[in-house]
Amino acid sequence: MDEVSFLPTFPLFAANMMLVGAVLLCGLAAGHVFARYLRLPRITGFVAAGLVLGPGMLNLLDRSTLAELSIFVDFSLGLILFELGRRLDLRWLTRDGRLLASGVAESLLSFLFVYWTLRFFDVAPMYAATAAAIAVATSPAVLLMIVHDQRAKGPLTERMLTLTGLNNVIAFLVITLLFGFVHLEYKANWVRALLHPLYLIAGSAALGYLAFVVARWLARWFGKREDIQFIMLLGLIVATVGLAISYKFSVLLALLAFGVFAKNLDRNHDLMAVEFGPGGQLFLVVLFVITGAGLQLPELAVAGGLGLAFVFARLAGKLAGLAIFAPLSGLTQRKSALLGVGMVPMSAIAVVMVQGASQLYPEFGAKLSSIVLSAVVILELVGPLATQWALRLAGEIDPTAQERP
Amino acid sequence: MTMTLEFSRSEALTMGIELELMILSTHDWDLMRGAGDLLALMAKSPHPGDIKPEITESMIEISTAVHRDYREMLVELSAMRDAVIGGAQRLNLAIAGGGAHPFQHWSEQRIFPKERFFHLHEMYGYLAKQFTVFGQHIHIGVHSGDDAIYLAHMMSRYIPHFIALSASSPFSQGMDTDFDSSRLNNINAFPLSGTMPFVRDWDEFNGYFDTMRTLQVVETMKDFYWDIRPKPEFGTIEIRVCDTPLTVEKAAVLGAYAQALARHLMLDRPREPSQDVYRVYSFNRFTACRYGMQAGFIDAYARGRRLLKEDIAETLDALVPHALALGSGAALAEIGASLDSGQNDSGWLRETFKQAKSLSDVVRLQSRLWAGEQRSRPDR
Repeated sequence: MDEVSFLPTFPLFAANMMLVGAVLLCGLAAGHVFARYLRLPRITGFVAAGLVLGPGMLNLLDRSTLAELSIFVDFSLGLILFELGRRLDLRWLTRDGRLLASGVAESLLSFLFVYWTLRFFDVAPMYAATAAAIAVATSPAVLLMIVHDQRAKGPLTERMLTLTGLNNVIAFLVITLLFGFVHLEYKANWVRALLHPLYLIAGSAALGYLAFVVARWLARWFGKREDIQFIMLLGLIVATVGLAISYKFSVLLALLAFGVFAKNLDRNHDLMAVEFGPGGQLFLVVLFVITGAGLQLPELAVAGGLGLAFVFARLAGKLAGLAIFAPLSGLTQRKSALLGVGMVPMSAIAVVMVQGASQLYPEFGAKLSSIVLSAVVILELVGPLATQWALRLAGEIDPTAQERP
Repeated sequence: MTMTLEFSRSEALTMGIELELMILSTHDWDLMRGAGDLLALMAKSPHPGDIKPEITESMIEISTAVHRDYREMLVELSAMRDAVIGGAQRLNLAIAGGGAHPFQHWSEQRIFPKERFFHLHEMYGYLAKQFTVFGQHIHIGVHSGDDAIYLAHMMSRYIPHFIALSASSPFSQGMDTDFDSSRLNNINAFPLSGTMPFVRDWDEFNGYFDTMRTLQVVETMKDFYWDIRPKPEFGTIEIRVCDTPLTVEKAAVLGAYAQALARHLMLDRPREPSQDVYRVYSFNRFTACRYGMQAGFIDAYARGRRLLKEDIAETLDALVPHALALGSGAALAEIGASLDSGQNDSGWLRETFKQAKSLSDVVRLQSRLWAGEQRSRPDR
């Protein structure tokens, strides 16, 4: 029947385009239901949508589809890390040693507490250390999304974002260095163990610097037009993500470095503080749905106890680290506790980094996943709530933000 | 029941200054709700002067002690500025002068949690949030209530001087308003703004106040938002039309100008209070807000029009012996210099915007200027 060959054949071919649209709409709808009827953070709705659509439940988003969407994940993470890097004010950190000290303390204590907890559960040192390094990083995606969604504004919000930038840098560096030990663990020679982390750190930083130099040069040429600078930065972020992938650098480190250089080396202030706004939100929604799809509830049943212990050890480390330096940095103990609670969301980005290692040593990845994934499930669902709650109690969320016409 | 306002006697011709300042984010240079944290931090360490909250959480008010000498005033203002900047830096906040933040949105401002401010918000609605503008108030000491009434009436003629010299709010809500001082337009909306009624002495003023209180229009003197008002508990008159200047130096200069002018008016008694001054008042005030140093001026006594600049220059001449007696010659010379250049702080802001091309850069440079790290004239 050649006459009707223009008709589609069944089953319908699910074009990628349609898929992204569907993911976006499902995520938005679930977010709306969560925010409006359950009074929970929108993000939790996005993650829940992914969880339901993902391989664990309905399997509408199966593993191969998720793999096809990975370019969105890379780009979204790049965007977030660039934005996070731009919030990391090194002058503030060097001027106020107390802030730097509290950031280092909360990172160190959350690492140690989680490490000891996992060792108590008889997890091997190598895995315990990598999992503990993952625990250090707070999720910039969740923080930025909530700050934007709730129009949070204020000193605690600023402090939370700066400390998050700092603990992400620390976590990335530690995980990258641990790669060396992973190589050794799998009997690779020490040259490889040394060169790989070095290549990742130096290469990513150099790429980030290059992106910054180009951005500054273009910004001078284009002038102070926010719309043009916005598109220029998006273009550079896409290009940097692509280059990092082809050179096998760390996408995350490179984009974080780009942001940090843009904030701290732009002495003439050629680059404008661009709000990624609704455009950036779009990528975040897709990112959270995909993150949710990657979660698996059965993990909770198997390793729920370990996951809970992980979560509490991590929270205790953050709270203790911040509490020690709170009085010195002009924070009340209440605000310091809110700061710690606000930093509960765990960065799925760290998990992505570990996947880099899994590609080299699948066995390592599989073992590590089984340790951290139950904690990731808990924190992805509870984390946004904690942040929103902390910012609201700190009085930095505009209560009328949701009711605006 | 009648309530008489007691006028406290204070040393004549002393002065005090209050400045409302912006609290800024160093990320995007928008206003930042930092007053609570900043005040809590500042309360822990000793600092000169007094630091208080203002109606919304991105504002803070500093006020000096009582001074006779303009240079001592400047020393205290500089010390207070440095103390506030020190506190702000620990919170990664920045501070700046200027009468209005160039691009803040009034709807994003939050009322500072204090009973009086909540009451004002309830009473005035969005006007309270639009009141996120930043002024300088100058207090001049007087011996008696009668002196206060006389001086307030006489000072009214000179209000356009203070507006044009201090103007620093050309941008508002992201736009150039074409005004040199857009801030005063925000104040006009309040029902009790404007000028003191034409009463002859303190007794008559008390009669007026008592009527307004009995009719439940006001409860206290604080409810009047007049451009100049007597402040019986301090024993002063308070000039409230100045925008907060971009530097403490300018703030001290304006204080010195008010002090010398008050000395001239009280000692020389050049004229008698006249209702005519109030007949041309709103128009003169508007012209000064709109055109700043380029404004015209209607002289109610001479019954003629002239340039505001000419009127200031003539006034400066009359103030020479008084500045000499008060030791504020240098301050008045500064005013002379700004007449020559025709520049006020609004001019600086517009010039800076022309070069930087972005309002957030303007605010960043404004905050460096306030901190004393930036030249007060932009490069040509």
